Amino acid sequence: MFDLIFRNITSRKIRSALTICGIALGIFAVIVMGAMSENFHQTFERSMGVTSDKIRIFAESGVFGGGLSNNKVSDVLRVAGVKDAYGLLMTTFDEDKMGMTGKQILGVPPEKSAIALSPVELKAGRFLHPGDSYQVVVGNNIKREYELELGSRFEIHEKYFNVVGILDYTGSIFDNAVIIPLETAQELYNVGDSLSYIFAVPAEGLDAERLSKRIELSVKGTSTLSPGELQTQARQSFMIFSVITISSGLLAAIIGGLCVMNTMLMSVSERTREFGILKAMGAETKDILLLTLGEACLMGLLGGVLGLFVGIGAVAIMNAWLAKTRIVLFLITPRLLLIALLFSLFIGALSGLYPAYRASKMSPMEALKHA
Amino acid sequence: MPEELILNVKNLSKTYMQGKIQVQALRSASLKVRKGEFLAIMGPSGSGKSTLLALLGTLEKASGGKAILEGIELTSLPEKLLPSLRREKIGFVFQHYNLIPTLSALENVELALRFSGVSKKERKARAKTLLEEMGLGARLTHKPAELSGGEQQRVSIARALANRPALILADEPTGEVDTKNRDSIVRVFKKLSEKGQTIIVVTHDPEVAKECSRVLRIVDGVLSDGEEG
Repeated sequence: MFDLIFRNITSRKIRSALTICGIALGIFAVIVMGAMSENFHQTFERSMGVTSDKIRIFAESGVFGGGLSNNKVSDVLRVAGVKDAYGLLMTTFDEDKMGMTGKQILGVPPEKSAIALSPVELKAGRFLHPGDSYQVVVGNNIKREYELELGSRFEIHEKYFNVVGILDYTGSIFDNAVIIPLETAQELYNVGDSLSYIFAVPAEGLDAERLSKRIELSVKGTSTLSPGELQTQARQSFMIFSVITISSGLLAAIIGGLCVMNTMLMSVSERTREFGILKAMGAETKDILLLTLGEACLMGLLGGVLGLFVGIGAVAIMNAWLAKTRIVLFLITPRLLLIALLFSLFIGALSGLYPAYRASKMSPMEALKHA
Repeated sequence: MPEELILNVKNLSKTYMQGKIQVQALRSASLKVRKGEFLAIMGPSGSGKSTLLALLGTLEKASGGKAILEGIELTSLPEKLLPSLRREKIGFVFQHYNLIPTLSALENVELALRFSGVSKKERKARAKTLLEEMGLGARLTHKPAELSGGEQQRVSIARALANRPALILADEPTGEVDTKNRDSIVRVFKKLSEKGQTIIVVTHDPEVAKECSRVLRIVDGVLSDGEEG
């Protein structure tokens, strides 16, 4: 039966090609949007993996409200069940690019840098030590972009820092992190003793969710995000982002599906007599369904494969172009490719369903009388 | 004349609704056809000839009466069994040939066997033999558009014969061919009939009817006995 299906598609070359292009365009959009979502998903999952054991504390007035300062760290440390706590100043590295590159300056107390970065490990050198001021530990992407080695000089906000440590690749936000001593960061950015966050490490075996509430109640003017809450909140944000990106791709694919339906309806209408002949020859309803549905599915699949290749190519070109600015925006995963391919098949099948039903329900005599 | 009764039609009728008007296309038609008969049904346009053929071919449902083909009552057969009956018992030859334009002569004949689940190898062999018997051995790979009207009709006869049916129903098979091709098609039918193939031909052409073993006439939906050819 496949040869007949293939013959039907190739016998109407231009129309089939246009329909396949319609589907390909939709799948191309799914791939590009999906690759963007996959990249964020991967970064999110890995970032969660390296930050999810700590309680995040911020000022009631928000991260940018300036309500947190060094003395709040001591308040947090006094809360029963807090094993350790440290303040952190976070700001964008490339202010001129509005933080689009994802590179961040993390000001951490040098003596806490190993805890703050845990479980990220060093690829080379050391973490910050007490007494460090213009020393810096850099993430793997920063090292590659600026071709840094241990001992290299690295300019941050018009000051030179000495590279003392390079982090292992994690696939998380830490790959784009520039870690400097907290006091130096506060001085460099002229923020006094302000902090962006305080991180609290729960004592072993302690319920982080409960401790999070306890901190919020004990330390005035603060709000907390427990690891669980952070995950839920982040997942919700990620889901909204995914829905927006994937939906735009799906919309394009659905338009492609309508192309298939239109083509199939035209084809069924033109081949009415042919279906009558097939029925007179003893074709079963399932044979007619298989012929028409198979045709729609094959067009969907061909469009899917074409869209896949064009999408992969476009993503590779865009990633190569963005690599100059160190923005990683797209990630193609086997999961995305499989979903896109199955979706193209599904769109083809769904679009072919109605035309196939119409073809299979034709009365053979009426079909034979069709001009 | 051979004795075995192959088709027994009793009081077969068909009524259509044309808007609000009831049209009686076939009125109580009865006939008996024996194995190997080459039967012609003649009549003016709109007399009900094609309706009778469509009812015998189970392409339409009768409004009343019975038609029994090789012991199977066609008129009461459930819808889902009709395709297999058409595959196994009936072969159609149409006036406009009705070949699939995208398929070659060989593939068109093969198509009939495809639905019967015949293996690819056997399909090809049977289709080739049939086309060779029709004198189309050199035209196997030609598409319908590359064949003459007479050749296309012979492909269509080969297709009708592919499943070795009990009955061939031919609706104006010579309606679109010249006299030379008409004679050649009639010769094919006669030869098949001599070999035991039962054929019912609906025709306007007295030259075709002349070659048939029996001729029935139909006027205003009423079938009457004609003369033996």
